[in-house]
Amino acid sequence: MYNIPKSGSASSAAQVFPSRRSLLKSAASGFGYLAFASLAQEAAARDATPGSSLLQAQPTHFPARAKRVIFLCMNGGPSHMDLFDYKPALQRTPAKGAKSNLMPSPFHFAQYGESGAWVSEVCPHIAQHVDDICFIHSMNTDIPNHSQAFIQMHTGSFQFTRPSLGAWSLYGLGTENTNLPGFVTINPPADNGGAANYGSAFLPAIFQGTKIGTNQIPGFYAALLKVDQEPGPPLKNMKNPRLSLAEQRRQLDLIRDLNSRKLQGDEFNPEIEGAIESFELAFRMQDEVPALLDLSDEPESMLRLYGIGSGLETDRFGRQCLLARRMAEAGVRFIELTSPVGWDHHFMLKDKLTESCRATDQPVAALLSDLKQRGMLDDTLVVWAGEFGRTPDAQSGTGRDHNNKGYTIWMAGGGVKPGLSFGTTDEHGHQAVENPVHIHDWHATLLDLLGLDHKKLVFNYAGRDFRLTDVYGRVVNEILA
Amino acid sequence: MNLFRPFHYSVLVLLALFVSTSSGIEPGESPAEIAFFETKIRPVLVEHCYECHSTQTGAAEGSLELDTRQSTRQGGDRGPAVVAGDPQSSWLWLVMSHEDSDLRMPPKRERLPDTVLADFKKWIERGAVDPRTEAPMAKEPAWVKAGQDFWAYQRPTESAPPHVTDDAWPTKPLDYFVLANLEEKGLVPSGDAQPQTLLRRLRFDLVGLPPSDADLKRFQQRIDDEGLDSALALEVDEMLASSEFGERWGRHWLDVARFAESSGTEANISFPYAWRYRDYVIDCFNDDVPFDRFLVEQIAGDLLPYEDDADRARLLIATGFLALGPKNLDSVDQRQFQADVIDEQIDTVTRAIVAGSVACARCHDHKFDPYSMTDYYALAGIFASSKTFFGTSVSPANRIGGDPLLLPKVNGQHVLHASLPKSRVETLKTQLAQLRAEKAEMDEATMMMFSGKKPAKEVTLRDALRIFWQTGSVEGELEKVSDTGEALPLAMGVLDGDEIVSAPLLQRGDINKPSTPIPRAVPHVIRIHDAIEMPEEQSGRLQLAQWLADPEHPLTSRVIVNRVWHHMFGTGIVATVDNFGSTGERPTHPELLDTLAAKFVQDGWSIKRLVREIALSRTYRQSSTYGDDAFHLDPDNRLLWRASKRRLEAECIRDAMLAVSGELDLDRPVGSLVGKVIGDRPISLIGLDKRLPADLDGCVHRSVYLPVIRDRLPDVLDLFDFAEPKLVTGDRETTNVPIQALYLLNSPFVLDRATSFAARLNRECDTNEKRIRQAFLLCYNREPDQVEMERSVQFLGDEILGEKNAAYEAAAGATTDAVPTALLSFCQALLCTAEFRNLD
Repeated sequence: MYNIPKSGSASSAAQVFPSRRSLLKSAASGFGYLAFASLAQEAAARDATPGSSLLQAQPTHFPARAKRVIFLCMNGGPSHMDLFDYKPALQRTPAKGAKSNLMPSPFHFAQYGESGAWVSEVCPHIAQHVDDICFIHSMNTDIPNHSQAFIQMHTGSFQFTRPSLGAWSLYGLGTENTNLPGFVTINPPADNGGAANYGSAFLPAIFQGTKIGTNQIPGFYAALLKVDQEPGPPLKNMKNPRLSLAEQRRQLDLIRDLNSRKLQGDEFNPEIEGAIESFELAFRMQDEVPALLDLSDEPESMLRLYGIGSGLETDRFGRQCLLARRMAEAGVRFIELTSPVGWDHHFMLKDKLTESCRATDQPVAALLSDLKQRGMLDDTLVVWAGEFGRTPDAQSGTGRDHNNKGYTIWMAGGGVKPGLSFGTTDEHGHQAVENPVHIHDWHATLLDLLGLDHKKLVFNYAGRDFRLTDVYGRVVNEILA
Repeated sequence: MNLFRPFHYSVLVLLALFVSTSSGIEPGESPAEIAFFETKIRPVLVEHCYECHSTQTGAAEGSLELDTRQSTRQGGDRGPAVVAGDPQSSWLWLVMSHEDSDLRMPPKRERLPDTVLADFKKWIERGAVDPRTEAPMAKEPAWVKAGQDFWAYQRPTESAPPHVTDDAWPTKPLDYFVLANLEEKGLVPSGDAQPQTLLRRLRFDLVGLPPSDADLKRFQQRIDDEGLDSALALEVDEMLASSEFGERWGRHWLDVARFAESSGTEANISFPYAWRYRDYVIDCFNDDVPFDRFLVEQIAGDLLPYEDDADRARLLIATGFLALGPKNLDSVDQRQFQADVIDEQIDTVTRAIVAGSVACARCHDHKFDPYSMTDYYALAGIFASSKTFFGTSVSPANRIGGDPLLLPKVNGQHVLHASLPKSRVETLKTQLAQLRAEKAEMDEATMMMFSGKKPAKEVTLRDALRIFWQTGSVEGELEKVSDTGEALPLAMGVLDGDEIVSAPLLQRGDINKPSTPIPRAVPHVIRIHDAIEMPEEQSGRLQLAQWLADPEHPLTSRVIVNRVWHHMFGTGIVATVDNFGSTGERPTHPELLDTLAAKFVQDGWSIKRLVREIALSRTYRQSSTYGDDAFHLDPDNRLLWRASKRRLEAECIRDAMLAVSGELDLDRPVGSLVGKVIGDRPISLIGLDKRLPADLDGCVHRSVYLPVIRDRLPDVLDLFDFAEPKLVTGDRETTNVPIQALYLLNSPFVLDRATSFAARLNRECDTNEKRIRQAFLLCYNREPDQVEMERSVQFLGDEILGEKNAAYEAAAGATTDAVPTALLSFCQALLCTAEFRNLD
């Protein structure tokens, strides 16, 4: 059960919130309106100079290679043997008489680029980018079950409530744009731990992910009704229909003053501190988010590149990828997209995996092209990963089962070695054998790319220093550019 | 989805090794021979054979068990597995070496390496020395044994209140336990909260609503007249007696029961009759139906005796508990669908009632808790012998269909769907007959095609789909009405099936790999009495329910008492309210939990009495004042040195807005938006229905009556951390994000409340000072202090120039509810403040 402590979330509260608390104590101690006015002034000054909010940009431990992350989350466990981890031995017909449950990949593979990486025929677009990609073929995680693996991928632990990868990143780096949430997740799944996958656990609540989502009409009905999307904005309540912006600002000042007054009496109340932060952020978001979410200013060629258009299989993920690029450009620190089609191919893998690729391959490739063309790929880390891979053995004759012992993820840009294939699984793809990379190692490496030392990025909660990688994790230096 | 998880192999291997090390050595067997067995033979048996042939896994394919010397020699259906000295007579050798063309082991895998085969041959030739003389703890794997010693499986026993130094502090027995713990740590409890703070806390905790101005005055009067203890008791008793109590506490159970009005998952089809179960739960909490009885009704209401039709209808509706779960109605495989429904039922029943999931044992023995696959399939048989009714019909988004459960007709019963004219029924019946004829024709044609003959009529996939969908739709219409077209009272629920069966153990949970049928039973780690007999002619749900509700069940009472504690204090005595297993947290006050549980049972399983006991305790009465020392020692307040500050749940936030604006309608609405407007259809399409409000709200009834649609909750519920209705949720999350702020600042719902709130202030007060004072009383249940008053007065007097209320002036003549912009803005600001949605 995901459970943000409801009161007293940090014994180090005083260290976390020094400026605000001293500010409140000195400013609002019973001098009526004047006290509030000076408080408001100080608050305004604080907002004007980035650097005094919890979300302020933080110095990194060492120079960062990546400034932001776009995490393409492939929910369900994509089959590495059918996508990027070519296994000739799997394709061979088993020796006569030998009983084998191995299932050859139903797809053809070919080598691409100067790096000569093998890619399956179902990813023709990503295949064109292999020279920018660093494949890790030797990933492994602890449990071959969706909910545990999914949450471990996001938080490092499937047993305990821990902050998510995005929350840690934002905590470590702060935001580049105080008018937007620093951590956004688009269409996250409601299961597999739900909000825990973008939650902040014991970190201050302001670091948790903001969920943005639109509802798509399913394919069958979209064709029938000739509508592929519901009416309505992707993020509701972005404008007050009754009050002018000036009146709303005045109102917000009152809300903040009343909250501060209450906080002063409570001495320590993270819920109220969080509320103060989130109302200010909300006000600024009203300004920036609508423009950001509106793709209508994108040229037709850009929409085509991403595969955006009514009835196209790529439309949904294309929109998400383009949105991710726009958010990256606007300074969102951590952007997570969840594949709108799942990858849990226990049955009918040949058809279903093809469908998943058709929906995502072109948009992902477009994102890489687009970032590169804008010069953003250098400092944007793009991650493509599912919670685990699949077995070389067949399941139900037409699909594959979960495999946590060896699978492939890839990263591009943001300081990883381009055109590299790192680590291997055994001849059939069952298990990582050479240079295995555990989830903890991957987390350590990801933080390292962001300029953060996973052993130093700690948060003291109830007397103990916690980190994303707990007591584990090795930075995979071999893949750093 | 629960599917095969390979890790169970390694767990089994470890356990098997661990369990059997204690076996004896036969005289005459040299240590070298035994070493050979231990290093070369046993590991192979464990890794490749035990899964299907061992006592521990409960699997004995071909009646063969290979985990003892005796059973190995004795062999299975084909004969001895090992004949010492004679590999060619040993079936084990024959099947391993693939010498027998008909049976090769391990199944569906390549032959074991030649070195391994050579070892086995050598072993058998040299006499097959085997030190495994006894079955390893027959039928009782080590982890089950360990589990039986685990705290949560021991029967709770009552303890006398411990000694405390400050014996003037406690008002209730539970206070002694809390205080003793605090004193031991050198802490002192916080003082009593201010009366208005206390009343606010009590009102939200017990009935989910803020106190009114009159409530506050009455309470103060009672304190003045009779003292705090007596005043509190009066207030608490009145709240427990009000119908708002059931709406608040029923909702807690609905969280646990993963109540929802749609199927969720990919298809997500609405459940038009789910609301009956919601009302049933609320009524049960109001009537204080004993909790044990409440459980039995929900699991086996259909099997209980009844007094009259109304009673029968109520008991049938109760079984909706089992039918409400998420369902993959888009499933292509009816058997898989059935297995998933049963799995969900097992998971919900066990997680909700005993805070542990047996469902993990669908594919492998439980990794952490003492539930085996045998336990799982023994339960599965009970549900497989039942039929689940959920009332959706076949459509392009729903391949499964799903019958509704017909209720007896009762006076005053609401039926939300319309009756049909008799002529329409006739037309539908004719259509159905035609469709069935077409189907028969098509089936015949298909058969012809398969046998290579030219069919009389060409069959296309299009035709097949059309017939399937049209049939589904016509059947769906017909099952809702009588022969004369009268709308029938329908519900969701469960009845016993046509056949009483034992579910086969499915290897790795795969429906295509059935093995031994497992007789129906309850999980055997918890032994209350002697074996429970499963009846031949009933599903066994009643026996399961009675086992769960047994006064001596070690978990049921603890789990519900802990849930109640959690709602009263913000955190349970066991913080992981839905997990009392080995991965859950241990109780902070074990003796207290046990004593409360034991008393709860003695007291007739009364939720109201338990709530009262806690509400009138000194522990509950504490203030939430911060204390440096205590905070550093116990930042999460697990020792209860103060009242925990808590964010209100979504429903309370919304209901409080309606209460302060004066608009709240406390009457129960008939049915729900789903039953009345949406009906049975894909949720993915409701966004196109202009009759539905965009926020799925648009009413002024209590929030418990808002539609609960999986993956499509009303905005206010979705944003403020409503319980995920796909899962048993005893502990909601609390998040604090900008989109909540945006909802409060900009949503039509909040603006409408602020407008009505402002109009109310204008109606009730004639000066700004009075309006401000009244607003603070309504929103925070306290007077503004001087600072707040000055700030508010300044705000109301300092309207933005030019905006001086265009809306007000324009509308002034038209409606009495028109309000100045500044007042509207002020009222909304109060609804937005943290204090409004938090408890001290």
